[in-house]
Amino acid sequence: MSYIVPIGPYHPALEEPIHAKLYTEGEVIRDAEVYVGYNHRGIEKLATERNAIQTLVLVERVCGICSHSHAMTYAMCVEAINGTEVPKRGQYIRVITAELERLHSHFLWMGIACHIIGHDSMFMHIWDERELVMDLLERMTGNRVNYAMITIGGARRDIDDDLRRDLLAACDKLKAPLDRIVDIVLNDKTIAMRTKGVGVLKTEDALRMGAVGPHARASGVDVDVRRDAPYSSYDDFEFKVPVCQNGDVFDRVVVRALECYESISIIRQALENLPEGPINLGNKLVKIKEGVAVARHEAPRGQLSHMVVGNGTLNNHRVSVHVPSYKNTPTVPFMLRNNTVADAGLIIASIDPCFSCLDR
Amino acid sequence: MQEYKVFPIAKDQIVPLAERMRKQGHALVMIHGYLNKEGLLDVSWDYAVDPAIESYHIVGEMSLPSIGEVYDTAATWPERELNELFGVSFEGLDMSQRLFLPEDMLEEQGKGQIMVTPLSELVQNMAKTKEDE
Repeated sequence: MSYIVPIGPYHPALEEPIHAKLYTEGEVIRDAEVYVGYNHRGIEKLATERNAIQTLVLVERVCGICSHSHAMTYAMCVEAINGTEVPKRGQYIRVITAELERLHSHFLWMGIACHIIGHDSMFMHIWDERELVMDLLERMTGNRVNYAMITIGGARRDIDDDLRRDLLAACDKLKAPLDRIVDIVLNDKTIAMRTKGVGVLKTEDALRMGAVGPHARASGVDVDVRRDAPYSSYDDFEFKVPVCQNGDVFDRVVVRALECYESISIIRQALENLPEGPINLGNKLVKIKEGVAVARHEAPRGQLSHMVVGNGTLNNHRVSVHVPSYKNTPTVPFMLRNNTVADAGLIIASIDPCFSCLDR
Repeated sequence: MQEYKVFPIAKDQIVPLAERMRKQGHALVMIHGYLNKEGLLDVSWDYAVDPAIESYHIVGEMSLPSIGEVYDTAATWPERELNELFGVSFEGLDMSQRLFLPEDMLEEQGKGQIMVTPLSELVQNMAKTKEDE
Protein backbone atom coordinates (compact mmCIF):
# COMPACT_ATOMS: atom_id res chain seq x y z
CA MET A 1 0.00 0.00 0.00
CA SER A 2 1.38 3.45 -0.95
CA TYR A 3 1.03 6.46 1.29
CA ILE A 4 2.29 10.01 1.37
CA VAL A 5 3.50 10.74 4.89
CA PRO A 6 4.03 14.40 5.74
CA ILE A 7 6.65 15.37 8.32
CA GLY A 8 6.77 18.92 9.61
CA PRO A 9 6.81 21.80 8.89
CA TYR A 10 8.28 21.45 12.37
CA HIS A 11 10.97 18.83 12.68
CA PRO A 12 10.10 16.47 15.55
CA ALA A 13 13.49 16.81 17.22
CA LEU A 14 15.14 19.97 15.99
CA GLU A 15 12.41 22.48 16.74
CA GLU A 16 13.15 24.08 13.41
CA PRO A 17 10.89 24.21 10.39
CA ILE A 18 11.29 21.86 7.46
CA HIS A 19 8.55 20.03 5.67
CA ALA A 20 9.24 16.62 4.17
CA LYS A 21 6.88 14.57 2.07
CA LEU A 22 7.65 10.87 2.20
CA TYR A 23 6.31 8.63 -0.55
CA THR A 24 6.09 5.27 1.15
CA GLU A 25 5.25 1.67 0.41
CA GLY A 26 4.32 0.22 3.76
CA GLU A 27 7.09 1.23 6.13
CA VAL A 28 9.65 1.88 3.41
CA ILE A 29 10.31 5.32 1.94
CA ARG A 30 10.51 5.10 -1.84
CA ASP A 31 10.99 8.80 -2.55
CA ALA A 32 10.88 12.08 -0.70
CA GLU A 33 10.71 15.82 -1.19
CA VAL A 34 11.80 18.56 1.16
CA TYR A 35 10.36 22.05 1.41
CA VAL A 36 12.19 24.93 3.06
CA GLY A 37 11.66 28.66 3.42
CA TYR A 38 9.49 28.72 6.55
CA ASN A 39 12.05 30.83 8.36
CA HIS A 40 12.85 33.34 5.60
CA ARG A 41 13.48 36.60 7.45
CA GLY A 42 15.00 38.73 4.71
CA ILE A 43 18.37 39.09 6.49
CA GLU A 44 20.13 39.84 3.20
CA LYS A 45 17.68 42.62 2.43
CA LEU A 46 18.07 44.07 5.93
CA ALA A 47 21.84 44.05 5.50
CA THR A 48 21.64 46.47 2.56
CA GLU A 49 20.35 49.13 4.95
CA ARG A 50 23.07 48.71 7.56
CA ASN A 51 26.71 49.66 8.00
CA ALA A 52 29.47 47.13 8.58
CA ILE A 53 29.29 47.18 12.40
CA GLN A 54 25.49 46.91 12.39
CA THR A 55 25.75 44.08 9.86
CA LEU A 56 28.07 42.14 12.18
CA VAL A 57 25.32 42.27 14.80
CA LEU A 58 22.72 41.31 12.21
CA VAL A 59 24.51 38.35 10.60
CA GLU A 60 25.31 36.89 14.02
CA ARG A 61 21.60 36.49 14.40
CA VAL A 62 21.23 34.41 11.23
CA CYS A 63 21.93 31.39 13.43
CA GLY A 64 22.12 30.74 17.14
CA ILE A 65 24.66 27.95 16.85
CA CYS A 66 27.23 29.25 14.37
CA SER A 67 26.81 32.97 15.01
CA HIS A 68 30.57 33.57 15.22
CA SER A 69 31.05 31.90 11.84
CA HIS A 70 28.67 34.33 10.16
CA ALA A 71 30.27 37.41 11.71
CA MET A 72 33.75 36.14 10.89
CA THR A 73 32.93 35.37 7.26
CA TYR A 74 31.21 38.72 6.76
CA ALA A 75 34.18 40.54 8.32
CA MET A 76 36.58 38.61 6.05
CA CYS A 77 34.63 39.90 3.02
CA VAL A 78 34.76 43.55 4.14
CA GLU A 79 38.44 43.20 5.03
CA ALA A 80 39.13 41.72 1.58
CA ILE A 81 37.34 44.60 -0.17
CA ASN A 82 39.10 47.24 1.94
CA GLY A 83 42.49 45.49 1.86
CA THR A 84 42.61 45.32 5.66
CA GLU A 85 45.18 43.05 7.28
CA VAL A 86 43.96 41.65 10.59
CA PRO A 87 46.60 41.60 13.38
CA LYS A 88 47.91 38.11 14.04
CA ARG A 89 46.66 38.03 17.65
CA GLY A 90 43.18 38.99 16.42
CA GLN A 91 43.29 36.14 13.89
CA TYR A 92 44.24 33.63 16.59
CA ILE A 93 41.44 34.80 18.88
CA ARG A 94 39.00 34.41 15.99
CA VAL A 95 40.25 30.84 15.46
CA ILE A 96 39.93 29.96 19.17
CA THR A 97 36.33 31.21 19.23
CA ALA A 98 35.53 29.41 15.98
CA GLU A 99 36.86 26.11 17.30
CA LEU A 100 35.03 26.47 20.62
CA GLU A 101 31.91 27.11 18.56
CA ARG A 102 32.59 23.94 16.56
CA LEU A 103 32.99 21.97 19.78
CA HIS A 104 29.70 23.13 21.26
CA SER A 105 27.93 22.63 17.93
CA HIS A 106 29.20 19.08 17.56
CA PHE A 107 28.38 18.23 21.20
CA LEU A 108 24.91 19.67 20.69
CA TRP A 109 24.33 17.63 17.55
CA MET A 110 25.68 14.39 19.01
CA GLY A 111 23.37 14.87 21.98
CA ILE A 112 20.37 15.44 19.75
CA ALA A 113 21.26 12.40 17.63
CA CYS A 114 21.29 10.27 20.78
CA HIS A 115 17.96 11.77 21.86
CA ILE A 116 16.38 10.89 18.51
CA ILE A 117 17.50 7.28 18.67
CA GLY A 118 16.14 7.02 22.20
CA HIS A 119 19.42 7.04 24.09
CA ASP A 120 18.39 9.86 26.42
CA SER A 121 20.95 9.19 29.13
CA MET A 122 23.68 9.72 26.52
CA PHE A 123 21.91 12.87 25.32
CA MET A 124 22.01 14.31 28.85
CA HIS A 125 25.60 13.19 29.38
CA ILE A 126 26.80 14.89 26.17
CA TRP A 127 24.87 18.09 26.86
CA ASP A 128 26.27 18.15 30.36
CA GLU A 129 29.82 18.08 28.93
CA ARG A 130 28.79 20.74 26.41
CA GLU A 131 28.16 23.08 29.31
CA LEU A 132 31.90 23.17 29.94
CA VAL A 133 32.42 24.58 26.45
CA MET A 134 29.52 26.99 26.88
CA ASP A 135 31.01 28.23 30.15
CA LEU A 136 34.32 28.83 28.41
CA LEU A 137 32.60 30.76 25.63
CA GLU A 138 30.71 32.81 28.19
CA ARG A 139 33.87 33.53 30.16
CA MET A 140 35.77 34.48 27.02
CA THR A 141 33.15 36.50 25.19
CA GLY A 142 30.58 37.46 27.83
CA ASN A 143 27.86 35.62 25.93
CA ARG A 144 26.57 32.10 25.50
CA VAL A 145 25.02 32.49 22.06
CA ASN A 146 25.91 35.57 20.05
CA TYR A 147 29.51 36.09 21.05
CA ALA A 148 30.15 39.51 19.48
CA MET A 149 33.85 38.69 19.25
CA ILE A 150 34.33 40.03 15.75
CA THR A 151 34.94 43.53 14.57
CA ILE A 152 36.11 44.67 11.17
CA GLY A 153 39.89 44.34 11.42
CA GLY A 154 40.17 41.90 14.31
CA ALA A 155 38.62 40.62 17.51
CA ARG A 156 36.77 42.65 20.15
CA ARG A 157 38.00 41.00 23.34
CA ASP A 158 41.49 39.93 24.30
CA ILE A 159 42.54 36.78 26.13
CA ASP A 160 44.51 37.68 29.25
CA ASP A 161 46.97 35.36 30.99
CA ASP A 162 44.42 34.06 33.51
CA LEU A 163 41.91 33.19 30.83
CA ARG A 164 44.59 31.66 28.67
CA ARG A 165 45.69 29.41 31.54
CA ASP A 166 42.08 28.41 32.23
CA LEU A 167 41.40 27.68 28.58
CA LEU A 168 44.48 25.48 28.37
CA ALA A 169 43.38 23.65 31.52
CA ALA A 170 39.92 23.20 30.01
CA CYS A 171 41.48 21.60 26.90
CA ASP A 172 42.88 18.92 29.22
CA LYS A 173 39.64 18.64 31.13
CA LEU A 174 37.62 18.14 27.94
CA LYS A 175 39.66 15.22 26.73
CA ALA A 176 38.47 12.66 29.31
CA PRO A 177 34.71 13.24 28.76
CA LEU A 178 35.29 13.27 25.02
CA ASP A 179 37.11 9.93 25.27
CA ARG A 180 34.12 8.53 27.19
CA ILE A 181 31.65 9.88 24.64
CA VAL A 182 33.63 8.53 21.68
CA ASP A 183 34.00 5.17 23.40
CA ILE A 184 30.24 4.89 23.92
CA VAL A 185 29.43 6.18 20.44
CA LEU A 186 31.76 3.68 18.80
CA ASN A 187 30.86 0.67 20.94
CA ASP A 188 27.27 1.05 22.07
CA LYS A 189 24.98 -1.53 20.48
CA THR A 190 21.89 0.70 20.49
CA ILE A 191 23.67 3.51 18.67
CA ALA A 192 25.16 1.10 16.13
CA MET A 193 21.81 -0.60 15.44
CA ARG A 194 20.03 2.68 14.84
CA THR A 195 22.74 4.38 12.78
CA LYS A 196 24.83 1.85 10.85
CA GLY A 197 23.71 1.50 7.23
CA VAL A 198 20.99 4.13 7.79
CA GLY A 199 20.60 7.18 5.53
CA VAL A 200 23.53 6.36 3.27
CA LEU A 201 24.90 9.03 0.95
CA LYS A 202 27.44 7.59 -1.45
CA THR A 203 30.63 9.48 -2.32
CA GLU A 204 29.59 10.11 -5.93
CA ASP A 205 26.20 11.52 -4.83
CA ALA A 206 27.86 13.75 -2.23
CA LEU A 207 30.26 15.06 -4.86
CA ARG A 208 27.53 15.57 -7.45
CA MET A 209 25.28 17.50 -5.09
CA GLY A 210 28.13 19.47 -3.60
CA ALA A 211 27.69 18.27 -0.01
CA VAL A 212 29.98 20.05 2.43
CA GLY A 213 31.41 19.76 5.91
CA PRO A 214 31.25 16.71 8.21
CA HIS A 215 28.30 15.45 6.14
CA ALA A 216 30.50 15.23 3.02
CA ARG A 217 33.50 13.93 4.96
CA ALA A 218 31.39 11.07 6.32
CA SER A 219 30.75 10.11 2.69
CA GLY A 220 34.43 10.01 1.79
CA VAL A 221 34.72 13.52 0.34
CA ASP A 222 37.95 14.97 1.70
CA VAL A 223 37.13 18.70 1.89
CA ASP A 224 37.82 21.26 4.59
CA VAL A 225 38.16 24.98 3.85
CA ARG A 226 40.51 25.44 6.82
CA ARG A 227 43.05 23.21 5.08
CA ASP A 228 42.17 23.74 1.38
CA ALA A 229 41.93 27.54 1.39
CA PRO A 230 43.52 28.64 4.67
CA TYR A 231 42.45 31.91 6.26
CA SER A 232 42.82 33.61 9.63
CA SER A 233 46.17 31.84 10.25
CA TYR A 234 44.68 28.31 10.03
CA ASP A 235 47.83 27.35 8.11
CA ASP A 236 49.81 27.93 11.34
CA PHE A 237 48.15 24.94 12.98
CA GLU A 238 48.55 21.24 12.48
CA PHE A 239 45.33 19.28 12.38
CA LYS A 240 43.84 16.24 10.69
CA VAL A 241 40.65 16.16 8.65
CA PRO A 242 38.74 13.01 9.67
CA VAL A 243 37.13 11.27 6.69
CA CYS A 244 34.95 8.14 6.74
CA GLN A 245 33.79 6.06 3.81
CA ASN A 246 30.38 4.51 4.53
CA GLY A 247 28.30 7.69 4.35
CA ASP A 248 25.76 6.50 6.91
CA VAL A 249 24.48 8.20 10.07
CA PHE A 250 27.04 6.30 12.14
CA ASP A 251 29.93 7.76 10.14
CA ARG A 252 28.45 11.24 10.55
CA VAL A 253 28.61 10.74 14.31
CA VAL A 254 32.16 9.40 14.11
CA VAL A 255 33.44 12.26 11.92
CA ARG A 256 32.00 14.88 14.25
CA ALA A 257 33.32 13.13 17.35
CA LEU A 258 36.83 12.93 15.86
CA GLU A 259 36.67 16.55 14.77
CA CYS A 260 36.22 17.55 18.40
CA TYR A 261 39.74 16.23 19.14
CA GLU A 262 41.13 18.30 16.27
CA SER A 263 39.34 21.42 17.52
CA ILE A 264 40.82 20.96 20.98
CA SER A 265 44.24 20.52 19.39
CA ILE A 266 43.85 23.73 17.34
CA ILE A 267 42.70 25.68 20.41
CA ARG A 268 45.69 24.41 22.36
CA GLN A 269 48.14 25.33 19.58
CA ALA A 270 46.59 28.78 19.24
CA LEU A 271 46.76 29.42 22.99
CA GLU A 272 50.31 28.14 23.35
CA ASN A 273 51.52 30.29 20.46
CA LEU A 274 49.26 33.30 20.95
CA PRO A 275 51.20 36.18 19.36
CA GLU A 276 51.77 39.45 21.16
CA GLY A 277 50.36 42.65 19.73
CA PRO A 278 47.05 44.36 19.09
CA ILE A 279 43.85 42.36 18.63
CA ASN A 280 42.22 44.78 16.20
CA LEU A 281 42.72 48.00 14.29
CA GLY A 282 40.41 50.05 16.50
CA ASN A 283 36.65 50.01 16.77
CA LYS A 284 36.07 52.61 14.11
CA LEU A 285 33.26 52.55 11.60
CA VAL A 286 34.70 51.87 8.17
CA LYS A 287 33.38 52.69 4.74
CA ILE A 288 33.10 49.65 2.51
CA LYS A 289 35.06 50.44 -0.64
CA GLU A 290 33.61 49.81 -4.07
CA GLY A 291 34.15 46.17 -4.91
CA VAL A 292 33.05 42.59 -4.49
CA ALA A 293 34.48 39.84 -2.29
CA VAL A 294 33.54 36.30 -1.40
CA ALA A 295 34.93 34.66 1.72
CA ARG A 296 34.66 31.05 2.88
CA HIS A 297 34.87 29.63 6.36
CA GLU A 298 34.60 26.07 7.60
CA ALA A 299 31.67 26.50 9.97
CA PRO A 300 30.72 23.58 12.26
CA ARG A 301 28.32 22.26 9.60
CA GLY A 302 30.61 22.88 6.62
CA GLN A 303 31.59 25.54 4.15
CA LEU A 304 29.92 28.88 4.82
CA SER A 305 30.28 31.61 2.20
CA HIS A 306 29.35 35.26 2.23
CA MET A 307 29.46 37.67 -0.69
CA VAL A 308 29.62 41.39 0.04
CA VAL A 309 29.32 44.16 -2.54
CA GLY A 310 30.55 47.56 -1.40
CA ASN A 311 29.66 50.87 -3.03
CA GLY A 312 32.04 53.26 -1.28
CA THR A 313 29.56 54.19 1.47
CA LEU A 314 29.13 53.02 5.04
CA ASN A 315 26.34 50.63 4.04
CA ASN A 316 26.54 47.34 2.17
CA HIS A 317 25.27 47.37 -1.36
CA ARG A 318 24.53 43.67 -1.16
CA VAL A 319 25.22 40.83 1.26
CA SER A 320 24.62 37.28 0.14
CA VAL A 321 24.82 34.49 2.71
CA HIS A 322 25.17 30.85 1.73
CA VAL A 323 25.32 28.27 4.41
CA PRO A 324 26.30 24.58 4.63
CA SER A 325 22.68 23.46 5.01
CA TYR A 326 21.99 25.02 1.62
CA LYS A 327 24.22 22.34 0.08
CA ASN A 328 23.38 19.51 2.46
CA THR A 329 19.58 19.73 2.65
CA PRO A 330 19.01 18.72 -1.01
CA THR A 331 20.83 15.45 -0.27
CA VAL A 332 18.15 14.46 2.26
CA PRO A 333 15.68 12.92 -0.25
CA PHE A 334 18.46 10.67 -1.59
CA MET A 335 19.36 9.54 1.92
CA LEU A 336 15.76 8.82 2.83
CA ARG A 337 15.14 6.43 -0.06
CA ASN A 338 14.75 2.79 0.93
CA ASN A 339 14.90 3.57 4.64
CA THR A 340 11.98 3.20 7.03
CA VAL A 341 9.64 5.97 8.13
CA ALA A 342 10.85 5.46 11.70
CA ASP A 343 14.36 6.55 10.68
CA ALA A 344 13.24 9.65 8.73
CA GLY A 345 13.62 12.06 11.67
CA LEU A 346 17.12 10.78 12.41
CA ILE A 347 18.19 10.91 8.75
CA ILE A 348 16.98 14.48 8.30
CA ALA A 349 18.72 15.49 11.51
CA SER A 350 21.91 13.64 10.57
CA ILE A 351 23.07 16.41 8.24
CA ASP A 352 23.00 18.70 11.31
CA PRO A 353 20.65 21.00 9.42
CA CYS A 354 20.11 24.60 10.37
CA PHE A 355 16.99 25.94 8.76
CA SER A 356 17.29 29.39 10.24
CA CYS A 357 20.69 29.57 8.48
CA LEU A 358 19.32 28.09 5.29
CA ASP A 359 16.30 30.38 5.05
CA ARG A 360 18.05 33.50 6.38
CA MET B 1 43.37 36.36 3.06
CA GLN B 2 41.62 34.09 0.58
CA GLU B 3 42.17 34.94 -3.07
CA TYR B 4 39.14 35.98 -5.11
CA LYS B 5 39.63 36.16 -8.88
CA VAL B 6 36.98 37.79 -11.06
CA PHE B 7 36.46 37.00 -14.73
CA PRO B 8 33.77 38.07 -17.21
CA ILE B 9 31.86 35.28 -18.93
CA ALA B 10 29.63 35.15 -22.01
CA LYS B 11 26.27 33.39 -21.91
CA ASP B 12 27.34 30.58 -24.23
CA GLN B 13 30.41 29.80 -22.09
CA ILE B 14 28.51 29.19 -18.84
CA VAL B 15 27.67 25.51 -19.37
CA PRO B 16 31.03 24.51 -20.97
CA LEU B 17 32.84 26.22 -18.07
CA ALA B 18 30.71 24.34 -15.53
CA GLU B 19 31.45 21.05 -17.31
CA ARG B 20 35.18 21.80 -17.31
CA MET B 21 35.15 22.75 -13.62
CA ARG B 22 33.19 19.62 -12.68
CA LYS B 23 35.58 17.44 -14.67
CA GLN B 24 38.55 19.01 -12.88
CA GLY B 25 36.89 18.33 -9.51
CA HIS B 26 36.20 21.93 -8.51
CA ALA B 27 33.14 22.49 -6.34
CA LEU B 28 30.56 25.13 -7.17
CA VAL B 29 30.68 27.38 -4.11
CA MET B 30 27.67 29.47 -5.01
CA ILE B 31 25.76 31.33 -7.68
CA HIS B 32 25.30 34.90 -6.47
CA GLY B 33 23.30 37.79 -7.84
CA TYR B 34 23.04 41.50 -7.16
CA LEU B 35 21.85 44.66 -8.83
CA ASN B 36 24.78 46.86 -9.77
CA LYS B 37 24.84 50.69 -9.62
CA GLU B 38 23.06 50.91 -12.97
CA GLY B 39 20.33 48.60 -11.73
CA LEU B 40 21.50 45.73 -13.94
CA LEU B 41 21.63 42.21 -12.58
CA ASP B 42 25.15 40.87 -12.04
CA VAL B 43 25.15 37.07 -11.73
CA SER B 44 28.32 35.24 -10.71
CA TRP B 45 29.31 31.59 -10.58
CA ASP B 46 31.91 31.00 -7.88
CA TYR B 47 34.10 27.91 -8.18
CA ALA B 48 36.47 26.64 -5.51
CA VAL B 49 39.77 26.41 -7.35
CA ASP B 50 41.56 25.96 -4.05
CA PRO B 51 42.99 27.92 -2.45
CA ALA B 52 41.34 30.64 -4.58
CA ILE B 53 37.80 31.29 -5.68
CA GLU B 54 37.29 31.90 -9.39
CA SER B 55 34.22 34.02 -9.92
CA TYR B 56 32.68 34.33 -13.39
CA HIS B 57 30.36 37.31 -13.84
CA ILE B 58 27.73 38.20 -16.41
CA VAL B 59 25.85 41.51 -16.31
CA GLY B 60 22.44 42.53 -17.59
CA GLU B 61 21.17 39.11 -18.74
CA MET B 62 17.74 38.09 -17.47
CA SER B 63 17.73 34.72 -19.20
CA LEU B 64 20.60 32.35 -18.53
CA PRO B 65 21.36 28.66 -19.08
CA SER B 66 20.97 26.34 -16.11
CA ILE B 67 23.98 24.28 -15.02
CA GLY B 68 21.73 21.91 -13.07
CA GLU B 69 22.68 19.06 -15.40
CA VAL B 70 26.29 19.45 -14.31
CA TYR B 71 26.11 20.38 -10.62
CA ASP B 72 22.66 19.02 -9.71
CA THR B 73 21.10 20.64 -6.64
CA ALA B 74 24.28 22.58 -5.85
CA ALA B 75 23.28 24.65 -8.89
CA THR B 76 19.50 24.30 -9.09
CA TRP B 77 18.81 25.59 -5.57
CA PRO B 78 20.70 28.88 -6.05
CA GLU B 79 19.20 29.19 -9.53
CA ARG B 80 15.70 28.81 -8.07
CA GLU B 81 16.53 31.36 -5.39
CA LEU B 82 17.83 33.86 -7.96
CA ASN B 83 14.68 33.33 -9.97
CA GLU B 84 12.52 34.09 -6.95
CA LEU B 85 14.53 37.05 -5.73
CA PHE B 86 15.53 38.71 -9.00
CA GLY B 87 13.19 37.30 -11.62
CA VAL B 88 16.04 35.94 -13.76
CA SER B 89 15.05 32.81 -15.67
CA PHE B 90 17.27 29.78 -16.13
CA GLU B 91 16.69 27.75 -19.27
CA GLY B 92 15.88 24.14 -18.44
CA LEU B 93 15.33 24.76 -14.73
CA ASP B 94 12.33 23.08 -13.14
CA MET B 95 10.43 25.88 -11.41
CA SER B 96 7.31 23.86 -10.60
CA GLN B 97 8.01 24.30 -6.87
CA ARG B 98 8.83 27.37 -4.83
CA LEU B 99 12.06 27.37 -2.86
CA PHE B 100 11.88 30.23 -0.35
CA LEU B 101 8.97 32.49 -1.15
CA PRO B 102 5.56 30.90 -0.67
CA GLU B 103 2.93 30.84 -3.42
CA ASP B 104 0.96 33.66 -1.80
CA MET B 105 3.96 35.96 -2.04
CA LEU B 106 4.25 35.86 -5.82
CA GLU B 107 3.84 39.62 -5.96
CA GLU B 108 7.27 39.80 -4.28
CA GLN B 109 8.87 37.91 -7.18
CA GLY B 110 12.01 39.61 -8.41
CA LYS B 111 12.13 42.14 -5.58
CA GLY B 112 14.77 40.41 -3.47
CA GLN B 113 17.09 43.37 -3.64
CA ILE B 114 15.65 46.80 -4.28
CA MET B 115 17.87 49.83 -4.65
CA VAL B 116 17.74 51.60 -1.30
CA THR B 117 16.70 55.24 -1.36
CA PRO B 118 19.11 57.40 0.68
CA LEU B 119 17.45 58.82 3.81
CA SER B 120 18.00 62.44 2.74
CA GLU B 121 16.24 61.75 -0.56
CA LEU B 122 13.43 59.91 1.20
CA VAL B 123 12.82 62.87 3.57
CA GLN B 124 12.71 65.24 0.58
CA ASN B 125 10.25 62.99 -1.23
CA MET B 126 8.00 62.76 1.82
CA ALA B 127 8.06 66.56 2.28
CA LYS B 128 7.18 67.00 -1.38
CA THR B 129 4.29 64.52 -1.10
CA LYS B 130 2.94 66.45 1.91
CA GLU B 131 3.18 69.73 0.02
CA ASP B 132 1.30 68.26 -2.94
CA GLU B 133 -1.46 67.06 -0.63
